[in-house]
Amino acid sequence: MAKKVLIVDDAAFMRMLLKDIVTKAGYEVVGEASNGAEAVEKYKELKPDIVTMDITMPEMNGIEATKEIMKIDPNANVIMCSAMGQQMMVVEAIQAGAKDFIVKPFQQGRVVEALSKISK
Amino acid sequence: MDMSQYLSVFVDEAKENLQGLNDAILKLESDPSSQDAINEIFRLMHTLKGSSATMGFSKMSKVCHALENLLDKVRSGKQKVTEDLIDLLFSGIDMLNDTVENIENGGDDSELDVDEIMEEISKNSKAASTSSEPEKTEEAKEEPQGESTKNSAEKNEKNSEEVEKTESEEMEFTNDELEAVRDVAQKALNENLNVYKVVIHLVKDSVMKSARMYIIFHRIEESGGQIIHSVPPTEEIEKENFDTTVELVVITSMKIEEFQNLISNVSEVEKVIIKPFDLKENNGISEEDKTKKAEEKKNPSQVKSKAASKVTDSAKRRAKLTQSVRVDVEKLDTLMNLMAELVISRSRIEETLKKYKIKEIDESLSQLGRITLDLQSIVMKIRMIPVSFVFDRFPRMVRDLSKKLNKKINFVIRGEDTELDRTVADEIGEPLVHMIRNAIDHGIESEKERIGAGKPPTGTVTLSARQEGDSVIIEVDDDGRGFNKEKIIKKALEKGIIQEYEVASLTPEEIFNLTFEPGFSTNDNPTEVSGRGVGMDVVKKTIESLNGNVYLESVEGKGTKVIIKLPLTLSIIQALLIEVEKNVYAIPISAIDSTLSIEQKDIKDVEGRKTVLIRGEIVPVIDLREIFNSEVKNEKADLVVTKYKEKKYGFIVDRLLGQQDIVIKALGKLFKDVKEFSGGAILGNGSIALIIDVPSLIQKALSR
Repeated sequence: MAKKVLIVDDAAFMRMLLKDIVTKAGYEVVGEASNGAEAVEKYKELKPDIVTMDITMPEMNGIEATKEIMKIDPNANVIMCSAMGQQMMVVEAIQAGAKDFIVKPFQQGRVVEALSKISK
Repeated sequence: MDMSQYLSVFVDEAKENLQGLNDAILKLESDPSSQDAINEIFRLMHTLKGSSATMGFSKMSKVCHALENLLDKVRSGKQKVTEDLIDLLFSGIDMLNDTVENIENGGDDSELDVDEIMEEISKNSKAASTSSEPEKTEEAKEEPQGESTKNSAEKNEKNSEEVEKTESEEMEFTNDELEAVRDVAQKALNENLNVYKVVIHLVKDSVMKSARMYIIFHRIEESGGQIIHSVPPTEEIEKENFDTTVELVVITSMKIEEFQNLISNVSEVEKVIIKPFDLKENNGISEEDKTKKAEEKKNPSQVKSKAASKVTDSAKRRAKLTQSVRVDVEKLDTLMNLMAELVISRSRIEETLKKYKIKEIDESLSQLGRITLDLQSIVMKIRMIPVSFVFDRFPRMVRDLSKKLNKKINFVIRGEDTELDRTVADEIGEPLVHMIRNAIDHGIESEKERIGAGKPPTGTVTLSARQEGDSVIIEVDDDGRGFNKEKIIKKALEKGIIQEYEVASLTPEEIFNLTFEPGFSTNDNPTEVSGRGVGMDVVKKTIESLNGNVYLESVEGKGTKVIIKLPLTLSIIQALLIEVEKNVYAIPISAIDSTLSIEQKDIKDVEGRKTVLIRGEIVPVIDLREIFNSEVKNEKADLVVTKYKEKKYGFIVDRLLGQQDIVIKALGKLFKDVKEFSGGAILGNGSIALIIDVPSLIQKALSR
């Protein structure tokens, strides 16, 4: 069974790019969400193995969403998608329970590495 | 990675982002304290930065980054929202817009003048900074990691210096430290805990290394471990003052292998070397190192082969998950054309089969009819987009104009979710720009003049859209000075557009519509903003080429309203087929109010105009039999009642043939001066019907 991935990003462009990378690497993208609130809903519904979580999003940001997801499932595997310079936010997300992070602009290899390492 | 496949999505979304930015900045301008607006601007700028960097447009992302930093200061209250700041943001957005357009047209971001905007930004920061701190320290505060691209080169140099220093430090502890660490380690060993010396190598081009190390520290602490020593020290790691290697001494209950997994499962960790901490020695990583390295190398390759085996079913999965598709407009045009052909073919089949009156085929024929109708409406719906697609750019334009002309404008948009054919939407933008400019430049008076006239000092321009039957009505309404009829007439006479003898018979409407005539201009001093008149005939032509029409209503001193009526779709319409003198004509259903049978005696002459009394209402009628030079006039005839500008007009025809979907075909250049017909349609039997342009025909008949 391929591992199920939920992609969360407010930019459709980023979701499309990530989806391609993730799918090519042999994972199954089971859902996409464009904000944190949607991500939490989708998490409940889809129970993905891995979540890629953008930080800056409307309505509910990625850190809040990570906190909510950890409440639902303390073993959730959340990978933050950070931009350069969001150190503080990444740290906050890790405190909230995120296990890893990848940095935009994405490098295919790094994304795949993070996915494979988190699912070990 | 080939990024070209993402280009169109990138461009589309970048445009959306920029439009959103425009809206949010306008909001911020009207309410400088709006935290929502600032957050929204910040978020959109951030998204744009990430996307452009991912696409490899580094200059674009650099500009976004600089603006983002500026916005961050605004957000944290270090910088005030001033007029200059708004202007700067707008000019930044404009530059980005140009860049995106350039990218869309196959170019890149190389023309973006980064230095110019950077200079503007730094000027602005200096001028408007509310903090008394000098700029430099503030920069440093904002970006402790020095990740601003501007000084990253500098930073790198600095980093490599540090590296040498830390590397030389790495293998040795100072004596005092060593003593302290040994003490703690000894105690731990006594408690049957493990003490490891852990050397972590991050991949060479790892970014945000301090956050990366934070994960590792966090994991160790979460697992109950304790870090008793770190080289470089944690403060340095936090400041990202290290190259790629960090050395730790850790107390943990975990076994080496377990501990190894804990850390190497963080991405961008290239290798982890763990060995029991030697109380006597402290730099013993040498021979073991090599074997470990080899082991480590196996891991990634395993991952790869695992991934490869899974790729095969991925395509299948992707298809299942796709929810929406982006389609080239050209393909939709082709679809629409094919649809039109299908409608014609269906009509022809229907026509042919009618002759034979085969009962069995009736059902399947009506089913075919239903299916084509459904198909048609779906194709039409696919092509529809909300007018906000066009309207969204106007608030910004109005804002710029009102600033330039120093007029206060309250710009109101209504009905922006009204939908319209994509092609129509594409074409209508320019005419609207023209009309809104006119309204602001010429319609709305100066503040002084308005106050003098007893009007509110702020002028109101309303842009509205609504659907009416098969048409979309777009109105540009201003409460400005309105048109002066005498002035228009004088001008029209001067330009030779009308002759002296015509003046008396002109209705007010006709007078206003003279402004749409080629070469007309009521403004003696065309301004930079709108060269008034030059474009009005072009506006009319554009709208008419879309099978729409435009007219003006104006009250001097009160304002002007431009009304544009556009068809919902361009190619297929429902029409009533009528016959006059054995020729078939089509009247768009959307223009028809009702039909009824009349007799010759019902037609009454009222003040020289033919009228028919319909349910107590006197309706002027136009005898198409006369207009199309018919010789015979039957005693019995049919009347098609149409509506034009809220008034009813009847058309007398020989007989009604029935309702049909027709595909509009343009008449071609040769007949471009024929206003009475908006096009032709091929009928089921292969013959051609001319489509009557109701407003033009009414106008012509009235002017007789």
